[in-house]
Amino acid sequence: MSRVQVDRERCVGSGVCESIVPEVFEIDDDGVLQVLRQEPPADDLDGVRDAVQSCPARALVLAE
Amino acid sequence: MSVNTPVDPAQFDIEAIDLSDRDFWAEPPAVRHAVFDKLRAERPFAFFDEPTMEGMEPGPGYWAVTRLADLDAISAQPAVFCSGQGAVSIQDIPADLSEFYGSMISMDDPRHARIRRIVAKTFTPRMLEQVVDSVVGIVDDVLAEARAKAEAGDGSLDVVADIAAPIPLRIICDMMGVPEQDRELVLNASNTILSGGDPELTDEADPLTALIEAGMNMAALMERLAAERIENPTDDLTTALVNSEVDGEKLTHQEIASFFILLLVAGNETTRTAIAQGLLALSENPEQRARWMADPSMDKAAVEEVVRYVSPVTWMRRTATQDGELNGHSFKEGDKFLLFYAAANRDPESFENPHALDLGRSPNNHVGFGGHGPHFCLGAHLARRELAVTFRRLFEVCPDLEITGEPARLRSSFVNGLKRLPARLTGQR
Ligand code: HEM
Ligand code: SF4
Repeated sequence: MSRVQVDRERCVGSGVCESIVPEVFEIDDDGVLQVLRQEPPADDLDGVRDAVQSCPARALVLAE
Repeated sequence: MSVNTPVDPAQFDIEAIDLSDRDFWAEPPAVRHAVFDKLRAERPFAFFDEPTMEGMEPGPGYWAVTRLADLDAISAQPAVFCSGQGAVSIQDIPADLSEFYGSMISMDDPRHARIRRIVAKTFTPRMLEQVVDSVVGIVDDVLAEARAKAEAGDGSLDVVADIAAPIPLRIICDMMGVPEQDRELVLNASNTILSGGDPELTDEADPLTALIEAGMNMAALMERLAAERIENPTDDLTTALVNSEVDGEKLTHQEIASFFILLLVAGNETTRTAIAQGLLALSENPEQRARWMADPSMDKAAVEEVVRYVSPVTWMRRTATQDGELNGHSFKEGDKFLLFYAAANRDPESFENPHALDLGRSPNNHVGFGGHGPHFCLGAHLARRELAVTFRRLFEVCPDLEITGEPARLRSSFVNGLKRLPARLTGQR
């Protein structure tokens, strides 16, 4: 199972990840990133990989 | 010679290149890019003395970074390459300016992270969904006004003043709830702040005084607005900011004022430049324009390419906090680096045929909104949305827009802006 990990020290809450896969990432009302599905379904994995690539703070890791 | 006729980098003597020479920034884009090509290929960390500025001691000079990989590596190590000594000026920020201009773009952790978290929640894609309707409405209003004005006369208009400037300004003012009667002040102040001393944009003989005054005016306006929203909350960004808390901490009024100034200057001139220079680039590449116009599914990729090609922000600065080495280049604590986004965005290592406008370009890992790092443009989603809506509505409402003359370029090293871009509406749809 692939797991999403967020480096909280790095994340700047930019929401880039949310814009790519809203099913998995959401910036909550406090501006903090919530990972809605730690183990994203196969359908979302491409999107998550995209988000890992695109995160401006390099805060995301997908452990596959 | 057309301004876009390629210029051969070989014709420049590398020893004679001086990025601190203000006249260099008046050169046509093709010359600018040929010089960047030369530096990138032969001296990717090139050292320059600082430009002289009246009333200031010149600093120690800076390294000009022109390769994308170097730029990205520097952006990704904020502890080694900090922003706190100034990110938007070559000179260290003088103490009397830092009160108004000491915003998060020129801050490091932990202060940067704290403010960025608080404001980031107002700029998420989800929150932006709510402003999209207003973006469409504003763009349509501006285009209708531009058409009415052109048709009342001989059909001519100025792309910058009539289209590119009012759109981002109205969107930001709307989001923040700036009243109609204060918007002129906001436009003037943001022009002063970003003019970089271009005499045509500041009446002031003394740019430093003008900057301080512009900052004071904006701060006063924002303090007033913030106070009003505490009394009478609305659904604007100001209200969200005065109430927003992370870990029980709120922004101080001073921080809110500085943040507003940052938003206005960072969000206005950049987006304006992308629209105006984008339209110019489309008129110079009619086959690309036709392709995009016919295919709305290209909006996303095309907007990225416009930002890459135009690179509205030419550079940001970082300062080394320690001695070290980067990709074979040694540096000392206190060394300044200018990250030339405009050069990195044409790096042949990262982009095939980098000087061509290719609206379908893929992949397109440009750094127009900044490299990987904590300062990556906060307004990137908003800007993308604004640009996508603006170009699409332009194609639909003003397909007859035609650029008719030479642009007047801003002589600024920092923003790749246009002062004027003459055009007309031919009436043929
Ligand atoms: C096409 C339009 C735009 C371009 C090209 C652009 C470009 C940039 C760049 C290059 C940076 C610096 C990144 C770094 O230092 O690593 C930046 C930062 C920033 N931008 Fe934008 N920007 C645009 C539009 C906007 C808009 C519309 C807003 C807000 C309304 C905005 C707000 C900001 C802010 C607040 C920062 C500082 C972020 C920080 O320090 O954490 N920008 N932008
Ligand atoms: S894209 Fe990166 S920095 Fe932005 S919210 Fe997601 S994890 Fe955080």
